[in-house]
Amino acid sequence: MVKENIKEKISRRDFFKSSSFGAKAWAAELLAEDEARPKETKWAMVIDLQKCIGCDTCTVSCKAENRTPPGVTYNVVLKEKVGTFPNVTKINTPRPCMQCDQPACKQVCPVKATYKMKNGIVAIDYNRCIGCRYCMVACPYGARYFDFGENYEQEMLGYNSYQTNEYGVEKGERKKKAPVGIVRKCHFCFHRLQRGEEPACVETCLGDARYIGDLNNPDSIVSKLVHSGRAVRLKENMATEPRVYYLK
Amino acid sequence: MPSKTIAQNITTLVKSNRVIWYGFLLVLMLVGVYGLSMRVQTGLISTNLTSNVPWGAWVAFYIYFVGLSAGAFLLSSLIFVFGMEKYEKIGREALLAAILSMVLAMMFISLDLGRMEKFWHSLVYFNPFSVLSYEVRFYGLYVLILITELYLSMRQDLIKNAQRNDLKGKIAKICSLGSTDLSKQSEERDHKWLKILGSIGIPIAIFGVHGGTGALFAVVKAQHYWNSAIFPVIFVVSALVSGTALLITFYIIRQKVMGGQVDKTMVQSLAGLMIGFLIVDIGLQFYEYLISAYSLDHHALDTLAILFGGKFSLISFWLGQTFIGAVVPIFLYFKFRESVNALLIGAIMVVFGIVAVRFNIVVPPLLIPQLGGLTGGYYFPSSVEWMTSVGVIGFGLLLYSLSVSILPVDLSSPIEKIGGGVKDNG
Repeated sequence: MVKENIKEKISRRDFFKSSSFGAKAWAAELLAEDEARPKETKWAMVIDLQKCIGCDTCTVSCKAENRTPPGVTYNVVLKEKVGTFPNVTKINTPRPCMQCDQPACKQVCPVKATYKMKNGIVAIDYNRCIGCRYCMVACPYGARYFDFGENYEQEMLGYNSYQTNEYGVEKGERKKKAPVGIVRKCHFCFHRLQRGEEPACVETCLGDARYIGDLNNPDSIVSKLVHSGRAVRLKENMATEPRVYYLK
Repeated sequence: MPSKTIAQNITTLVKSNRVIWYGFLLVLMLVGVYGLSMRVQTGLISTNLTSNVPWGAWVAFYIYFVGLSAGAFLLSSLIFVFGMEKYEKIGREALLAAILSMVLAMMFISLDLGRMEKFWHSLVYFNPFSVLSYEVRFYGLYVLILITELYLSMRQDLIKNAQRNDLKGKIAKICSLGSTDLSKQSEERDHKWLKILGSIGIPIAIFGVHGGTGALFAVVKAQHYWNSAIFPVIFVVSALVSGTALLITFYIIRQKVMGGQVDKTMVQSLAGLMIGFLIVDIGLQFYEYLISAYSLDHHALDTLAILFGGKFSLISFWLGQTFIGAVVPIFLYFKFRESVNALLIGAIMVVFGIVAVRFNIVVPPLLIPQLGGLTGGYYFPSSVEWMTSVGVIGFGLLLYSLSVSILPVDLSSPIEKIGGGVKDNG
């Protein structure tokens, strides 16, 4: 690999020398190279608020998929009544983790347990997190939850016997070890994305209001929706650059 | 002859008081051990913390004790760095209180960690963008400086004590770390190093330890109420308030228990410092409220509404922070300055009042949901949180009482001679 790179550089330099308009041609070549190279997938989610009916299916399917314990809900649907009678509307805003490009949670974590993956997802290293909950305080979207160790064993037989392989890591039985006692949050169902499946909330959405896709690919539905002019993000003033867009 | 009987009476009084005192501390610690066992067995579910209100009593106590420590240390630097000899009598006690407060602060924050056993991660892994990451390291450095300073300030007395044959002597021998140099030169060298270490310690205490702890809160943009540059300053000033109050309390109570003379001029001067800091603190807090109010940010306004009129505001803000923590002490100082007891009561009230201040910093902003439609929080510390807190504080008082009775915290007579003028005050 390294040798090839050197060769490429030499050839480029030769090309550079031979060309009469050096810099211009070099820039053009670089640009062409840049466009030709397939970019890495960088996930983003678009949620169409006009399509959302507030049925909470995303919340339920998320709980089922990630087997989150009581009190931990990666996705919630915020239901707000706006205006005064008779001019009242109800706004449903599904709220997953925003997978911010400048995550406040990552900034404050003292042990780097929260980090940004190349694919745009903000991940938590369950084994490194010490449970100080600074990130929960810092998240402007309230998207982080502390796992207090509760379970649904009463309602759901065998709840403790298996945990979802979040982040693609097998976790086995739910015992008194991590993720108990640490902070958890939505990860766009990374384990499903790895298998080529959509996140559970996207797949099960009744109104087809949620989209997941690659924002680096200008032809993806997500990219087109984001650039449609309808797209807004929550709390833009926080400068967190969320990767979840809402269509008004 | 009568004086002798009085002295005997005092010693018996001290002895019986000692039994009561240590018995009391033992009870506190037993309560704490029970709370701790619940905490370890069931995890954070034993607390009333939720995902809405992730920080509570333990964090409040943690910043409270970091504040006490920084305040006490800064007071000690008045003596060791700025050479204010009138406060000399509390110099070592200030350092001791600073060290022990830091120990308690670390105990509280370890209790608060979801996975206590992984506390060492905070030392091994470093996030250069996290204030907390720097804080942890500052705490370590700060405690090292404090311990070295305390050692240097006591070294010669430790060596003198080491010649005794009782337990006190043995412990002094261990604590003196093999040093036997009693010469005047070595003492001067100690004082020089005390000055150097104190000078290094001051910026660390102000910007690193307590200002940094304030910055921990101030950098959180999501919590509008904390997010102002005045916040770390308030932390430092309120640290000075609580640190001074603690030292006044300890000094007067100890002198009374031991049957010693209370240096009234020094106490008055310290109380004056405390009240001065307190007034500055109140002024800065007023600005903080003003900034929040003028932002018209609903999150900040809701925080103020909870602070001034929430469910527990009557106890925590109006009674704790305002009445006990400010109004009464200021009144006592200006009305009954001549009475040591009044000043003592004022100082004790400030020590308790600042606890309320810390709770009012941590909890109210967290009660407000980040997004409309999220459930709001409710928080009152659970029995386990109270029990462990009581236990940790009892443990701290035990450490303090033991250190005070074993280590030469009081200036021994030779140093008094050098200091001069001390007798005049008494």
